Amino acid sequence: MSSATASTARTVPFSPGRLGIVAGNTFLEAVRQKLFNFLLLLAVALVASAQLFREFNFGSSELKFISDFGFGAMVFFGSTLTIAATAQLFFSEIENRTALTILAKPIWRTEFIFGKFLGVFAVVGVFCALTTLLLLALLYHRETALMTANPDAFENGRMIHYGDLVLMGVLQWLKFGVLAAITLLIASFSNTNLYTVVMGFFVLVICHLQYLARDAYGAVASLPLRLLVQLLGYVFPNFQVFNLADQIGIGEGIDSGIFLRVAGYALIYIAVIGGLAVYSFRNREI
Amino acid sequence: MTHPNPVPAIEITGLTKDFSLNLRGIKLRAVENLTLNIPEGQVFGLLGPNGSGKSTTIKIILGLLEPTVGECKVFGVSSVRVDSRLNVGYLPEAPYFYRYLSGSELVRFYGRICGVPRKRLDERVREVIDWVGLSAAAHRRVGTYSKGMLQRIGLAQALVHDPRLIILDEPTAGVDPVGSAEISELILKLKNQGKTVLITSHLLAQIEDICDRVAILDRGKLILEGAVNELVSMQNRQSLIVDSLPPAELEELRGWLAARGHALTAVEQPRTRLDQLFLSKVSRPQKGGEVK
Repeated sequence: MSSATASTARTVPFSPGRLGIVAGNTFLEAVRQKLFNFLLLLAVALVASAQLFREFNFGSSELKFISDFGFGAMVFFGSTLTIAATAQLFFSEIENRTALTILAKPIWRTEFIFGKFLGVFAVVGVFCALTTLLLLALLYHRETALMTANPDAFENGRMIHYGDLVLMGVLQWLKFGVLAAITLLIASFSNTNLYTVVMGFFVLVICHLQYLARDAYGAVASLPLRLLVQLLGYVFPNFQVFNLADQIGIGEGIDSGIFLRVAGYALIYIAVIGGLAVYSFRNREI
Repeated sequence: MTHPNPVPAIEITGLTKDFSLNLRGIKLRAVENLTLNIPEGQVFGLLGPNGSGKSTTIKIILGLLEPTVGECKVFGVSSVRVDSRLNVGYLPEAPYFYRYLSGSELVRFYGRICGVPRKRLDERVREVIDWVGLSAAAHRRVGTYSKGMLQRIGLAQALVHDPRLIILDEPTAGVDPVGSAEISELILKLKNQGKTVLITSHLLAQIEDICDRVAILDRGKLILEGAVNELVSMQNRQSLIVDSLPPAELEELRGWLAARGHALTAVEQPRTRLDQLFLSKVSRPQKGGEVK
């Protein structure tokens, strides 16, 4: 064997390259998991099945129905995929002891954790892209058919803002990113895959419903309770802000300012929660 | 071949490691006040029964655990720093690797993590896979490998960045005698290249054959350390091996020794070792191994 092939410099800076290698491997592992394929097929089937319900509605409301149904399927299966894939991909490294082999190399735990996150984020991105594209194709096909059948209803041209649907897909992807970061944070201190998945769903429900608590207690409760609820409102991201369903597709469309604010909201939460996951994982004994 | 280094490959000083067992603060002491120096270029055996603290010590050397008290340095760099792992290769006990990757993809993956330059990577991957004798199976998925092949691909990933220190945790656990002998040969080759090897194993005969020095841990404490030859030789005894001595001449020899104040303590038939007998009788498999 030859001598000295690797760097012998005595510093190891943070490397986006290493982070990308971990992310790429995580992505590869995820796409070979049957769960991913199963959920993807199920989501695609459900989005496609939205067309079967067209007998219930006609005209513009039918298009709105297909859009809402499609995004509903994306949210449900996307959330399930995000929590299950994040927990599984993290614990497969711990339980199979591949984490030992990787972390015994000159790699920062920050690179490992964010690599895992980016791998899952890429998987969910593929999921969102495929379901959004399918939904767009379905809506376009149906709208074209309706335009032929009812030309009067479409005298001003197409009703659907297809660009907004893409933005909505991006927002769902970012929301899943926040959810993946939360699941990774739980996994960083949890001992089992099951606990992580259960807690992940629990937090998902809190994030979807916390605005109700804020509204209910914000007005009537005592000051300490009000402050506590307000604090919880900052700790748990509000997933309702990602729900712009009323503004998409048909109507005035998504305001770009709102889109950017929501995207920024997601990225801040991803950075903060990811940072907490790194801190927790640094203290974890492998 | 690397030149001898005045800085020890591993320098452990007053190392203690406690694990918290529960929230009430009850702790388990895995390693207690361990001090150990391993010079560069040696094959060093870390021995001890299960639960003696060997794996904990290795994890601290690799930076996977932090010491509760004391210090551990690898080539002069504290083991809690990422830099300390630049020149370390590690083969874990009973290694599991990504089953969906082929052998060469796996070694390539770890090579990239270790920062082997891209233009050198392909050549380097081929080199180490050939070196551990897995060229014929390099494109098969790791999930189809036998246990011995897993150990060899594990060794390849540990060597891909050409480290100066290689840590092998039970490299022959679950491997048949032939595979075990081949791993011993690879370790001796590493020694000849000037590498430092830290090995743990329950196969004491193997350790005796390949190690320069050993340390024995028991319940987290160092109870013995030294050169293998010094530890196992009996200083006040000598053995003579002669060809089929007839009984009469044996008696004559006994008398001759007695006249000079020495006793003939034992007369035994020299024995070969069972592992050597086994290896001389069985055929070695083709490189690449059988398909599972």
